[in-house]
Amino acid sequence: MASQDAANKDSKAAEAKPEQAVADQKPAAALEEDDEFEDFPVDDWEAEDTEAANGGEGGKHLWEESWDDDDTSDDFSTQLKEELKKVEASKKR
Amino acid sequence: MSLIIQFLSSIRSFVLAHNGDELRNWLLVENDVADIYFQLAHQLKSSFPDNGSDALERMVDKCLPEEFDVPEGKGSPWPGFNSFVKEYLEYWRDVDFDNLVTLHARLSDLLTSCANALANPTYGVMLLQTSMSLSESLSKLVMGLTRQPHLIAQIQGDMTGDEPGERKSIVELAADVIQKIFTSCLSDRSSSRTQPPKGKKVAVYLFANLTLKLLFACEKSRLAVQMFTNLSATGPALSLYPASQRVTFLYYLGRFNFDHGHYFRAHMCFEEAYRQCPPQFQKHRRKILIFWIPSNLLLGRFPSRNLLQRPEAAGFADIFLPICTTVRSGNFVAFHEAMRHGRDWLWDRGLYLTLLFRLKPLVWRSFTRKTFLLTWQNGGGDAGNRAPSLSFNHLVTTASYVQKLLEGYVPATRPLAPRARPPHINTIFLKAVTNSAAEADSDSNLVPPPGGPRVLMPSDGLIFGNKKPDINNIESIVAGLIYAGLLNGFIARQQKRFAVEGTKRTGGNPALAGWPNPYQSIMERFKEGYEEAVAAYETGENADLPGDIDDVPGWVRNI
Repeated sequence: MASQDAANKDSKAAEAKPEQAVADQKPAAALEEDDEFEDFPVDDWEAEDTEAANGGEGGKHLWEESWDDDDTSDDFSTQLKEELKKVEASKKR
Repeated sequence: MSLIIQFLSSIRSFVLAHNGDELRNWLLVENDVADIYFQLAHQLKSSFPDNGSDALERMVDKCLPEEFDVPEGKGSPWPGFNSFVKEYLEYWRDVDFDNLVTLHARLSDLLTSCANALANPTYGVMLLQTSMSLSESLSKLVMGLTRQPHLIAQIQGDMTGDEPGERKSIVELAADVIQKIFTSCLSDRSSSRTQPPKGKKVAVYLFANLTLKLLFACEKSRLAVQMFTNLSATGPALSLYPASQRVTFLYYLGRFNFDHGHYFRAHMCFEEAYRQCPPQFQKHRRKILIFWIPSNLLLGRFPSRNLLQRPEAAGFADIFLPICTTVRSGNFVAFHEAMRHGRDWLWDRGLYLTLLFRLKPLVWRSFTRKTFLLTWQNGGGDAGNRAPSLSFNHLVTTASYVQKLLEGYVPATRPLAPRARPPHINTIFLKAVTNSAAEADSDSNLVPPPGGPRVLMPSDGLIFGNKKPDINNIESIVAGLIYAGLLNGFIARQQKRFAVEGTKRTGGNPALAGWPNPYQSIMERFKEGYEEAVAAYETGENADLPGDIDDVPGWVRNI
């Protein structure tokens, strides 16, 4: 019944090449994929095959927590600075 | 007739042998079966027409007599099983694969009958595989039907007897039947919660996952609440089940928590699902990342280069990096652009609105920090000897500037229109627009665009659509950020300022003191919320003692 649909979608997803995705202007098209979380082809596997077993190897450095830079020389900051100056100046007038 | 008897006698032999696999292999319901099933259907039509007679029932009972003195490990037909087999034969007699509406009704009835038979404590377990395969067929059919609204309308219209307010969708009805099987498995007493599962208990997470798959495919995830509650109360430990079931379950539990705003819980589920999913299952890891990355964004953490370079993350940098950069910089205009860039992809996964609304406080945090850096250190001698603070008036100025940019304002120095424009066209109009749209524009470096400011959707404006930010808006935003723990300090209302606290503790760095690390702040706030819940229990304000801080309802880890 629906198996044919699923197969079609699979082949579509397989065609989406990862390197295209980065370069493409329209991310939606390049990243198109089937949203279903498919059944695994095998039922079970050994814990050693996973990152959970390999400790730090994959678990670390996945997330960046650092946020702030104190650089205020970027274009946006410069514009804000100019605007603050202009408004301050007009208040003093 | 002979084929029917032959079929029933084979079924009987499987029941006597307690062979659930063969029962599943024979009790097929989809149309991609061998011709013999259609021959069976033909014989049923001619021998047992649908005329209200109980001939078929009698035939089934005759071919499947109840056995007594059944040896250990063997089985016997039971009344519930015979009813199911009768219904199964009626299904093949009446089925019309071209009519999805009646097919749905027939298959639902058949699965209900199978669930009833499965509930038998002695022999029901031999229908486990069949229940699974029928459940899969029904959910496949329902998922297909939800994409055809006209058929749904027809099915809903056929359901009579219920009050309109009580009428359930076909997704709910299918999920109800599958959950009934899940409950039957959950309440099997062959093994305890901490022992390797036996009997029907082996299928607890298989049916949970199937129900979740159906509910998520049809955007009805909220209906999973009862199932998670049941699992928390009596479910066996997830670690006792095969890895594929664990990873699938944690993926859906993560999505459920994400959908309900529990991003830390969602993160814990996705983290464990990802870590237990070997790298060769790249597609599965990718699906996990699609929600794990947003969960972390909302907790104040960004995906690292290491993560985005993994094969399963191909293309994600294009979507998420611009968002991360703009959240960090506090540049609302660039943030909206980054969201627009990934809009279609994010929208299709139900992430767009969540990220748009829930990331805004983090952009505000960066934006207020930026304004502080510009006004406190470089703002023309504002610092002096006073305690570090951020003026609301300065924030109104910077926020108004950003709002103007969002509305399409342009720098005042830039010509408003191409030089070639004939002098008589639009000059008066432009003057009128400039004068009326922004009286205070002489105080700004920006002027309205030709044709006037852009009309913004509520979500596209800084406050709400085209609302100009004023000091009250700013005060309430700052108050919200303080409450969320994203700013550290208090509001000095008389001075109309946000006063930074704890500068001494950060070695005299007011930006570090006033704008603590978002991830740590969010986690701290989460911990506070938990401690408040414990305190509420201790004072009797709340009847339920919360579990451990990292408990996720539905995830049976520590019993």
